[in-house]
Amino acid sequence: MLQLVLYNVTNGLIIGAFYVLMALGLSLILNLSNVINFAHGNFLALGGYIAFVISPYTGFWGALLLSPLVAALFGFIIERLMIRRVYGRDPVYSLLLTFGLAFIIQDVCRYIWGPNGLPLGIPEVMAQPLSANLFFITWYRIFMVAIVIIAVAGLFAFLRFSRVGMRIRAGTLDLDTVAALGVNVRLLRSFNFALGSLLAGLSGVLAAGQIGLNPNMGDDLLMPSFIAIIVGGVGSLTGTLLGGLLIGVAAAVTTVFYPSASEAVIYVIMAVVLLLRPRGLLGEEGMMT
Amino acid sequence: MKSAHWNRSVGRRNILKAGAAIGALQVASPFIIQARGEATVKIGMVDPLTGILSALAQSEVEGAKYAVAEVNGKGGILGRQVELLVEDSANDVGTGVQKTRKLIDRDQVDVIFGDVNSGIAYAMSQVTNEKKVFHIVPGGHTDPITGTDCKWNVFRICNTTSMDAAAITPELVKKFGKKWFFITPDYAYGHTLQDAFIKNLKKAGGTYEGDMLPINTSDFSATLIKAKAYQPNVLLNNMGGLAQIDCMKQFTQFGMGKSMGLGGALYELESIKSVPADAQAGWWVMEWWWNQPNVPHVADFVAGMRKATGKTPSARHWFGYVAVHSVRLGADKAKSLAGPKLSVAMEGLELPPDVALQPGKTFYRAGDHELMPNIFVGEVHPPQGNPDNVFTASALVPGEQAAGTVEDTGCKMTHPAA
Repeated sequence: MLQLVLYNVTNGLIIGAFYVLMALGLSLILNLSNVINFAHGNFLALGGYIAFVISPYTGFWGALLLSPLVAALFGFIIERLMIRRVYGRDPVYSLLLTFGLAFIIQDVCRYIWGPNGLPLGIPEVMAQPLSANLFFITWYRIFMVAIVIIAVAGLFAFLRFSRVGMRIRAGTLDLDTVAALGVNVRLLRSFNFALGSLLAGLSGVLAAGQIGLNPNMGDDLLMPSFIAIIVGGVGSLTGTLLGGLLIGVAAAVTTVFYPSASEAVIYVIMAVVLLLRPRGLLGEEGMMT
Repeated sequence: MKSAHWNRSVGRRNILKAGAAIGALQVASPFIIQARGEATVKIGMVDPLTGILSALAQSEVEGAKYAVAEVNGKGGILGRQVELLVEDSANDVGTGVQKTRKLIDRDQVDVIFGDVNSGIAYAMSQVTNEKKVFHIVPGGHTDPITGTDCKWNVFRICNTTSMDAAAITPELVKKFGKKWFFITPDYAYGHTLQDAFIKNLKKAGGTYEGDMLPINTSDFSATLIKAKAYQPNVLLNNMGGLAQIDCMKQFTQFGMGKSMGLGGALYELESIKSVPADAQAGWWVMEWWWNQPNVPHVADFVAGMRKATGKTPSARHWFGYVAVHSVRLGADKAKSLAGPKLSVAMEGLELPPDVALQPGKTFYRAGDHELMPNIFVGEVHPPQGNPDNVFTASALVPGEQAAGTVEDTGCKMTHPAA
């Protein structure tokens, strides 16, 4: 039993790493733009489908590099054409807009690529498990975790040390002052949205290599991303990282004892956190209303 | 502190509202109803065109549309052209019931088809029975629909879970052994399927463990870890649609095929074609199979479907096809589309060879309204020659043999007073 639990904790951390990548992109957009991007899961799907289209020409590695960039470009365009029109309005407007966008992207994917699952080929060597004992850790999953670590480290470094990153961080605290200091806030928001979409697109390529492609693939990953943000704390990227890992481990360990509740447990965690510490594990004060 | 000029604060409460609204994403469906006509025979079809079962649902709809074109080309039903009105249940019971009521109350359909999702099909049958509308369940397998909750107005084309389990269990026991591990979706279909397998396995003296997982599970690594620890002779993948595909992929990625067999009830053509070659494996049942070279009319049907849809027809295509033709045949016999008369006409109705598309007798059993076709038991494998030739049948089990008696099903059919 102990071995089973330890295996599932390890497995949960791998799953949680994936939730982290999704949730960080969502959190970035939320923190700076105050937009709850319902279509974030569909940007993930789009990233996967773009990889499916270009991988025959570029191979898996080329698709891994290019697809997130295409997803970022798409996000940039969407922000410019649609999202920015609802800034400053009641948050319900952005909810409804991205809600509708989610349907549109999903249906477009279904129309172009059909409802059937599609495979995204990964290098053969990566499909092999580490060993007979660690059969559930394939080289691809290790690769996924490595990419997530690099992406998260890169994101944190970007936000910490780059000029644009500092502006993003400052903007999440006081956008008025940032604007008054002469920063082009419109461009900053567009860039930030694109960055969030890039992370979603990257998640999509990684997910496609693991579970294949289908138009609904983003839906199932969107809720855990929201919950990771709420559990970790709105406004805190570090909290989002912790939240994602926590719910990944919780879902995996719950499967050992009560599999039917493996999905419900993350909502239970969310409820407990909201009751005991409403701002989340590492959330900011003032984000409680 | 958030600045007022650039931002309206979203806050935690709005995020929670957003979370609730995500649930609505699963319910709402924008799919559009097809155009109406006057004096047509209207068939309302409710299927999960979005969601994890969408590929299966689409095949059923395609099969039904093909049949409608065929029937209309030959004069329709009772001299009237047929109109198929398709609604998306979005794989949600509430939505499926709502759409069914809408088709009946607002669109005044004569007949209802649906749903692929057993839970939705079951809920729909309550509505159609209340409204006294004839209802065919093309592809929802849970037993009570034609078992303990059988209804005079409800007929079913696909097998019951008991039939599938009874057909495949002897083969799995013979090939692999009696220690099984189940991975089963936690809804009506999964529960009855696993119960049926357990009943058959116990008769053979077998043992088992298993996990019931949410229907839309996409990561099975935790459950597969448990399965590996249990060291079964065979793992039964009872999931459906995209969830089954994900489970198959992960089973293969983890190299578990080296230490245990693989099998189950349904592994449908739509799913098989979505997985890599090494996941095209195991022992399963097919409820209809396209590659029957010595059976009349099958080649014509396959060629016609390929021309119409660009795809080789699957069992799901056949379900939709049979559903429409069943209404035609029943209406011809009853000279009516009224629910009670159509139901009586359908009892015992034998499908002609160009509709049954398989050897032997295929008929609706009068006692429980369950279609009794053959059950194709065999092995899934990577394509041999034709890219759709991914299954080789080793046995054809007569449906009535697998189903047992009407008494076994628990069905006590009562008809409305004349």
